This record gives sequence, structure tokens and C-alpha cells, in this order.
Amino acid sequence: MWESLGLVFLFGLVTALATGLGALPFRFLGAVSEKTVAWTNAAASGLMLGASFGLIYEGSAHGTAQTIVGGGVGVAFILVGERLLEGHEVSFGQIQAEGAKRVLLILAVMTLHSFSEGVAVGVAFGGGEKLATLITVAIAVHNVPEGLAITAVMYPKGTRLWACAGWSVFSSLPQPLMAVPAFLFVEAFRPLLPYGLGFAAGAMVLMVFLELLPEAYQNASKASVALWVSLTLGAMILFQLYL
Amino acid sequence: MLPGEPVLTVFFYSALAAAMAALGALPFGLAKRLHSGWVGSAYALASGLMLGSGYLLITHGLKMAPLFALLGGGAGVAYTFWTQSYAGTDELDTSPDREMRPEEGYKAILQNTLHSASEGVAIGAAMAVDLRFGIFLTLALAFHNVGEGMALTELLGRQGMRPRESAGLCVFTKVSQPLLAIVTFAMTPALGRFEPVVLGFAAGALLHLVLTELVPASYERTSKTLVAFLMSTATAAVVFFEAILVHGGR
Repeated sequence: MWESLGLVFLFGLVTALATGLGALPFRFLGAVSEKTVAWTNAAASGLMLGASFGLIYEGSAHGTAQTIVGGGVGVAFILVGERLLEGHEVSFGQIQAEGAKRVLLILAVMTLHSFSEGVAVGVAFGGGEKLATLITVAIAVHNVPEGLAITAVMYPKGTRLWACAGWSVFSSLPQPLMAVPAFLFVEAFRPLLPYGLGFAAGAMVLMVFLELLPEAYQNASKASVALWVSLTLGAMILFQLYL
Repeated sequence: MLPGEPVLTVFFYSALAAAMAALGALPFGLAKRLHSGWVGSAYALASGLMLGSGYLLITHGLKMAPLFALLGGGAGVAYTFWTQSYAGTDELDTSPDREMRPEEGYKAILQNTLHSASEGVAIGAAMAVDLRFGIFLTLALAFHNVGEGMALTELLGRQGMRPRESAGLCVFTKVSQPLLAIVTFAMTPALGRFEPVVLGFAAGALLHLVLTELVPASYERTSKTLVAFLMSTATAAVVFFEAILVHGGR
């Protein structure tokens, strides 16, 4: 029992660390122009929409209605969060004002959505170790683009690369933490899963249309923004299907 | 559902969807001056309905053959990108309170016609999968046509066209919907195992159209909070009601 508990935690931890890898590609990015910021925002939008697609797809297998209800809560969460942050002087490291609000929200969303993913890992262990290994690898791999999305928002605003990687890992830490109780109480957690997945999807979709896309359209042509979103969205779906 | 030939069902519903575009002119006929925020909201709702339709199309395709569906999706994005730049509609600036030149009015009509053609493919492909699913998707696009009719009436109104006249033009730009719906519906089954390519194509085309034409236009007219809220609600409604009405809540 204790051994498999340790294993669940370890598997969850591996998925969390994988998120940090998403910061790596930015190591090779040269000077960051306004257009680059627009395109990284568009790419982050596509990645997050792709992740939401996977969450809704997965959630629908457990119950579409529950997933949509969870999605509604996710949407409300971002709207309320945005309202609460309004009028406050927010800063985040070297980032000020509008940018800081966005970074704070995106980190909150990504961190919260990891709770649902942790539950997914834990519940998967209930289905046998082989399935669990499969799901853990899948989540670890798809965490990489999530790190990419976080870095795509933070890095162009002046955050150091190692800090981006650190925050990416942080956003996934709830995974090992949630995987353990979900594994212990599979039967109790299973019905919650579609709500959690829906919540994460709703929050991410709202984040994309509220914060990321408007800025992207301001600094780059509509066609190029749309192309970045479509391509990264497609890549994300491909990724989730085959890994 | 209509009795008899399925192709009549396809024709009936897609023609109904095209006709609903005329309703978009109605608010302009009733109110002397319509605040552009309303048009922005209509754009946002239309975007959500379209995005939800795209989600349903791609998930149906993915369930049949994931790789074919995604290949079709890529083709749909590429096709839309290419036609927009070839027709020059990608540079059409529709931001509100701006004088529009006559050739821009024609471009707006061209843009709407090309846009509707892809939606016709979407309707035909969905009908070919399953008539119930197809009817649902067509109704979602029919309501979205009202929003697009509103948008076109606003653009043409800047050149002095009256709502009564533009109502006819709105339907005219949507005629490609029933035409391509019937063609796609008739031809898709012949594709056999390549059918998911068509579903993916339609989804990719809808996604790219939403992102280039509807979403930026809605940001220009109303607050981004309202846009994000209306879009996500409309998308969720499409996914939710499809599950309830077509799959009986599963």
C-alpha cells in the first residue's frame, strides 16, 4: 500500500517536472519584438485551446452535462478573479500593471487546472499500474506545452528563463499532491472528475479570449494570429492523441 | 425531420439557415441607430456557435480516423488562409465608425459568400455522418447566420444601403450554404474511409474563419470581457445541447 502510494506521488512529481521543459525552446529565441509577443500570445492561445479541447473531450466521456457545469464555474472563476484584481496595483517580479495581472491569472488557472489532472493520474492508478504508467507519461508529455504556454506569456514581459521554468513546475505541483488522495479514494473522486476537467477547460478558454487574443490582434495581422492559433491547436490535439 | 429523401431534409434545413440571415437586418429596421456594441455581441455569439460547431465536427472525425480528421483540419485552415489572401478579404478593415468605399462593400459581400461556402461544406459533412447531428449543426449555424446578417447589414448601411435591401443581400451571400451542403452530402459517402477528412476540413475552415473574421470584429465593437463571456457560453451551449438532443444526454 505505502509502496504504491509512493509510486503515485513519484509519477505525479515526474509530470510536474516535465512542465519546466516547456521553457527550454525560448532559450533559442533572439530579441523579443512586439510582433513576437503577439505571436507567442497566439501560440499560447492555441496550446490552451488545444488543452481545453482535450479536457472537454475527456470530461465528456464521464458526462457532458457535468463537464459543461464545471466549465461554467471555470468561466465565472476568471470573471470574478479579473474583477477582484481590477483597480489594484499588481506587480509580479519585474512585470507591472496589465502584464502582471495577466501573468497572475494565467498562473492561477494553470495551477488550478493541475488539480484536475492530478485527480486524473490518481484515478488512473485505480485502473491498474499499466494504465497509470500510460496516463502519467501522457500527462507528463502534455505538460511540456503547458510550460511553453506559461513561458510564452511571462518571458516576453521580461521574466528570466529559469524563473519561467520554475513557475511552470510550480503550476503543476498540485498534480502529485492531488494524485495521492484521488488514488486512495478513487470511488469518491471519480464522479468529481468531469466537473474538474470542465472547470479547467472553461477557465482556460476564458483566459484565451479575455487576455491573450485581444493583445495578439493588436500587434500582428489577423491572418498571422489565426494561423498561429490554428497550427498550435492542431499540434496540441495531435500530441494528445498519439502520446 | 422530413419524410422521404434525405437530400430534401438537407435542402430544407440549409435553405432555412440561409433564409435566417435576413433576420439580421431586422434590428436595423426597428431601431433608427443601433449601437455598435450590439453588433459586437452578435459577432461574439456567432463566433461561439461556429466554434462549437467546429468542435463537434472535429470530434466526430477524430472518433472515425484521427489522422485523416487532422489532415483535413490542416487542409481546411490552409484553404481558408489561401482564399482570403487571394480574394484580398484578409485586409478588409471593418472597424466601426469608419467610412467604407464602394469596392470595400463588394469585398464584404465576397467575404461573406466565401465564408458561407465553407459552412455549406460543414452542413453537408455533418448531415452525411448522421441526419440528426446534421440538423442540429445546421440549426446552430442558422442562428449564427442571424448574427452575420446583422454584421453585413451594419457594413452596407455605412454606404447608405437600407436594411430592407441588405436583408436580401444577406440571404444571397448565404445561397452557397444549401448548394454546397447538398453537393457535400451527396459526395461524402463515396469517399468511404476518407470521410473524416471532410469533417476535419470543415472544422479547420470554421476555426480559421472565426479567428480571422468574427473574433477580431467583435473585439473592435464591445468589451473583451463581454466577448469572452458570450463566446464561451455559446460554444458550451452547442456542445451541451448536442449531447442532450442528439445523443440523449450521454
